[in-house]
Amino acid sequence: MSERALAAVDGVTRAYGGVPVLEGVSLSVEAGVTAVVGPNGSGKSTLLGVLAGAVEPTDGAVRYPEGGPRSGSEKRVGYLPQRVPFRDGFTARETLGFYAALVDGDPDAALAAVGLADAADKRVEALSGGMRRLLGIAQATLGDPAVVVLDEPTSGLDPEMRERAFRAAARAGDDAAVVVSSHDLDLVDAHADAVVVLRRGRIAAAGPRERLLDEHEVDDVDGLYRAVAGDADALARGDDGGEAERDGDESVHVAGVSDR
Amino acid sequence: MSTPFDGVWLVFRRELVTVRRTPGYAVLALGLLVVLGGLVAVGGGGATGFVPAVVDLLLPTEVLVPLLAVVLGYRALFADAASGELAVIRTYPVSAAAYVLGVLLARTVALVALVGGPFALVGAYVWLTAAPDTGIFATHAGVDSPVLFVRFVALVVPFGAAYLSLSAAVSTIATSRRSAVALGVLALLAGVLGGDLAVLRSLSAGAPAGGIAESIAFTPNGAFRGLVFEHVIGVAFAPEGGFVDTGLAAASLVGWSVLGAVAAVAAVAFGPRVDVAAERLRERLRR
Repeated sequence: MSERALAAVDGVTRAYGGVPVLEGVSLSVEAGVTAVVGPNGSGKSTLLGVLAGAVEPTDGAVRYPEGGPRSGSEKRVGYLPQRVPFRDGFTARETLGFYAALVDGDPDAALAAVGLADAADKRVEALSGGMRRLLGIAQATLGDPAVVVLDEPTSGLDPEMRERAFRAAARAGDDAAVVVSSHDLDLVDAHADAVVVLRRGRIAAAGPRERLLDEHEVDDVDGLYRAVAGDADALARGDDGGEAERDGDESVHVAGVSDR
Repeated sequence: MSTPFDGVWLVFRRELVTVRRTPGYAVLALGLLVVLGGLVAVGGGGATGFVPAVVDLLLPTEVLVPLLAVVLGYRALFADAASGELAVIRTYPVSAAAYVLGVLLARTVALVALVGGPFALVGAYVWLTAAPDTGIFATHAGVDSPVLFVRFVALVVPFGAAYLSLSAAVSTIATSRRSAVALGVLALLAGVLGGDLAVLRSLSAGAPAGGIAESIAFTPNGAFRGLVFEHVIGVAFAPEGGFVDTGLAAASLVGWSVLGAVAAVAAVAFGPRVDVAAERLRERLRR
């Protein structure tokens, strides 16, 4: 684990019903935005769940130099799952108010930070999909955690909302390690400092974005994705529909965003 | 947040607001009031007095209160787990114990209001319509009294709380809303019928009848029924008592609630690890 790493995934494997979804994944994440990309079923959500402490690995571990999700009396890891989970019947302010009170935060400031100040009194079920995701990003960044994990924050949003969501994530990355999974390679290109390409549960490429582009002699993350994952059609098919079965072991295991 | 109690309080407040904003629960309470009022009316009306009203209500209470408690509890912990919000909450400094306690305490307060309210209104109806001597606060046996009805309602609450806690605990292993309903119904049937059937089976197997007072105290329904006979109905009609071991029955009701809460905390805290252990075992067997 590098000295600057805020979280280190060490040989993590996760299987469901005997089918491995992640296998021997190792990487370190540092301050800034780390984008996790890969075809549907490549293990992105599982990897992010493991980082957030929501998914227990069957093998391996995640280490946090500043404390993990369930250690100490402070929030160390922020998490937005792929499906925004907030309860209906509560307003945006009430929803964030509950979480903010747990970390002595300010719900109104958090709403303003993602541009939802005007929607504070709207009920969660009345918010658009984009607004719900922005609310989720505001929740994940409450309490200034060292690691913020955002699973598909732009899924199903219009271009403007995607940009807003990614900008909000990138702002959080000024001080924290923001790990975000996405199919929006143009936004990844614009905002990510580091990229992890997953393929069939293994890391196919990982490292600082510029370095990866140079190494693979491509112009952008889309080119990198085509070169490394080699399955551009899968990306074009759309949102993650869950984890698929692996049908082989062709991928290359590259350890570490920070060259561990 | 400065103390673990703050976590309990914040979860409690959120859960209570959720219950308050769920109109279905108020409808259930209204339904309970109609059924209880109807039963008392059919049994001779409020004029018969408090203890006769308790006698009329005892058996239906043994089914209706657990039913309402299960309705309150079967999704109490399942809802956040199914939506994924529990995974979010667990990234905050809230322990599994604080989360479960907050949810269960709020649901118990709701139970007190939703069950206690209709019973209190029926009690008020009896008080307003009962014969003059039932308005006396009894100081000795043989006298009907509102105090006896208050005792009955006071016993209804821990009885319902036991079912609430157990159904919430059972809901933690549910994987869908349908399975949560099925598990809730199973818990209800096991509690309402299972205990008595077990006692009957032990009697038919040769267990001494004298041991009934002790053995019925181990089930929620048996403990509740025994306490009602001992401290409500028996006070007026059979002051010699002996229906149930009071200490054992009271401990049983509290114990079932605590057991449910502890099981729920364990499920929330260690459930993912159990899942992983099963996965590892499956992997080992495959090799």
